[in-house]
Amino acid sequence: MLQRFRKRQERRPDAAEDERVGDAITVSKVRKTFGSKVAVEGMDLRVGKGELVGFIGPNGAGKTTTIRMIMSIIFPDSGTLSVLGKPSAVESKDRIGYLPEERGLYRKMKVGAFLCHMAQLKGAPPTDLKRKVYTWLDRVGLADCYKKKCEELSKGMQQKVQFLSAIMHDPDLLILDEPFSGLDPVNMRLLRDLFLEQHRMGRTIIFSTHQMHQAEQLCDRIVMINRGQKVLDSTLPEIRSQHDPRTLLVEPLTPEGAARLLSMPWVREIADQDGVLEVAIADNMTPQDAIQRIVESVPVARVQLRRPTLEDIFVEIAQGEGQSAEDVRQSLRSGVKAEVEA
Amino acid sequence: MRKIIRVAAREFASTALTKGFIIGAFVVPIVMMGLFFVLMPILMTEKAPKVTGTVAIVDPTGVVLPAIREGMSPEAIQKRQEQREARMKEAFGKTAPKGLVSEGQMDMAAKAAASSEPKTDLTLEILDAASDIEKEKEPLKSGTAQDGGRLVLVAIQPNAVTRSTPEEPYGSFDLFVKPKLDDRVSGDIRSVVGDAILDARIRAAGQDPEFIKALSRVDRPDAVTVSKEGEKKQSEWQIFLPFGFMALIMISVMVGGQYLLTTTIEEKSNRIVEVILSAVSPMELMTGKIVGQMGVGLALLLMYGAVGGGALFAFAMLSVLSPLNAILLVVYFILAYFMIASMMAAIGAAVNDLREAQSLMTPVVLVTMLPYLLWLPISRDPNGMFATVAGLLPPISPFVMVLRLNSTDPPPMWQVPASIAINVVAVYVMLRLTAKIFRVGLLMYGKPPNLSTLIKWVRMA
Repeated sequence: MLQRFRKRQERRPDAAEDERVGDAITVSKVRKTFGSKVAVEGMDLRVGKGELVGFIGPNGAGKTTTIRMIMSIIFPDSGTLSVLGKPSAVESKDRIGYLPEERGLYRKMKVGAFLCHMAQLKGAPPTDLKRKVYTWLDRVGLADCYKKKCEELSKGMQQKVQFLSAIMHDPDLLILDEPFSGLDPVNMRLLRDLFLEQHRMGRTIIFSTHQMHQAEQLCDRIVMINRGQKVLDSTLPEIRSQHDPRTLLVEPLTPEGAARLLSMPWVREIADQDGVLEVAIADNMTPQDAIQRIVESVPVARVQLRRPTLEDIFVEIAQGEGQSAEDVRQSLRSGVKAEVEA
Repeated sequence: MRKIIRVAAREFASTALTKGFIIGAFVVPIVMMGLFFVLMPILMTEKAPKVTGTVAIVDPTGVVLPAIREGMSPEAIQKRQEQREARMKEAFGKTAPKGLVSEGQMDMAAKAAASSEPKTDLTLEILDAASDIEKEKEPLKSGTAQDGGRLVLVAIQPNAVTRSTPEEPYGSFDLFVKPKLDDRVSGDIRSVVGDAILDARIRAAGQDPEFIKALSRVDRPDAVTVSKEGEKKQSEWQIFLPFGFMALIMISVMVGGQYLLTTTIEEKSNRIVEVILSAVSPMELMTGKIVGQMGVGLALLLMYGAVGGGALFAFAMLSVLSPLNAILLVVYFILAYFMIASMMAAIGAAVNDLREAQSLMTPVVLVTMLPYLLWLPISRDPNGMFATVAGLLPPISPFVMVLRLNSTDPPPMWQVPASIAINVVAVYVMLRLTAKIFRVGLLMYGKPPNLSTLIKWVRMA
């Protein structure tokens, strides 16, 4: 996926091509405050056409505010925005599909009528719309729900209907805020497949989540937001190469292995994860040298480099900004907990 | 524009095309009217049980009794029945739809209404003039009127017919009845005895009772308004007509406004509003919703207006309506509606549930209560200083103008375009302010705002 995007960027043969692969969204020096609280500060962002970008960060980081500004639901105090070549989303609303984090349905409205209404509000032509709605409902396993009232559906079914309402009018740009929250694994897979299908069709997608592993699985590029500011904006391989792994996973054969490792001067910290030791190494030691020394002095079943997860990287960046690792992990987990409760 | 129409159409359909609305707005009034027209005649013609027993009379004067005896005779009862029917017929003739009800039908209705009086079989029991009243009361104490026996004791006072000096007031009579006696029977006896005493006094004064009665009767005419356009009989209903019109636009405005408030709160509380805002701007959403609910209010206005017009036509009072006033009614409805609706939309957007909305509703409730309080003073003096100022002062101006236009003394014509112009400006200003609250409030959850927060939002947006 990523390679395809890169290739497309490398080609750029003529103006028409330039329009096709140009930026779907540009955000420049955008700032938004609510009273005395700064929600977003100095936000710069470019999203190329056809890209799948993940917005990650803990709850309250400024993801939703940024998205709402992109959608022209709220307006920045300063800075400029451009969406699908227009100075604001107001003029290109019909070409955008939006699934907000706070989403609902008209409870008394019938599912089919609701989807038709939303598609028509987004400028979809009324001809053949009913058939299209029916086809989509069939695809997500809700064919018999066309005439049911929205309030009669289960939460998962409602979420599928909401997802359909965002894509029903064939938008060029899809903005999905926490699209998979509260779904069971089967439905999550179903929606993920639809989501990736939209990407394969060349649609630009912004996907916001606080569940880092989802972004890791799905996105070409990651934009990390913390405390209203963009703290990272890169492709996944670039992020991994930039963030040198400084943790080794060691599985000692003897119980005294841990004590012997701890006695080595370049070992900063050891955490026991079900018999596998996570060994953090000091800055003056390279991972390669560390592996060699461990193998020489401790009998081990396994020793390997631990690839940093996005969460680790996020914690590292936040630590660099003066937040404690525990606080950052706590704020990430509180998001997950809130989601589970929801 | 397309999106506004789309929002308005959904708003109208989701409100007016629901079972609840149709039942509330159409079926309930029809059923009520049906019950009124079917049940009332049945209740009216239902015969009361026959009253049988004696009426005891103590007459120390000795001159009243013959007249009472005459008044209680079957012929006199029959005559009174006929008089009642005639009075009923006259009353129906004044109000019944002309041309829609035949003479025969009117006779029957009058007869039915008049014959609902209980049938009686009463025997007179003449007691000794010197009877002890307390003792004679004893038979009344046993049982009730349904058991028969002595039902009534009439004790005529000795000075009821003649008095010793001209300064002394005339005496009267005492009426004692058994428990549960039909009040129409005791009323009838009261008037028979009263008339008999009156006749006796007139005779005692050496006059002819019929002559004196003719002397003392003056028919009361209806007032006739005389103007350059001609003469018009002033009806008692005239004062209620402006009120009817005002109530009509008030109901339509409030129904539309209330639905707007509820649907806005509903959209906000079930979190669909952000999805909608990704398709339409807040201004488009607010306009669409206001226009959609205006359709609901207008449907009610036209329907109830048509029923009212039909009633006026049936009572041959259609002439009190002018086509211009009917058009102005719709114009003032739209102005009043936009004023109230914009406030309702802003309140709906600002709060999280209906309960929280109540505290912010005070200004709206005040606006809607004022015209009711002002109805009488304005109807009595529709062109006074007070009425003129109130008629030009938004937001009550549309209601007051409707009151004044339909009163007996309509305002000068220049005040109509003036009040419309002032209201258009006021509605514009109100929409600008409330649109800001609407835009900010829609995505605000949590603590319900107070008035100062709303002002802050207006400045912020």
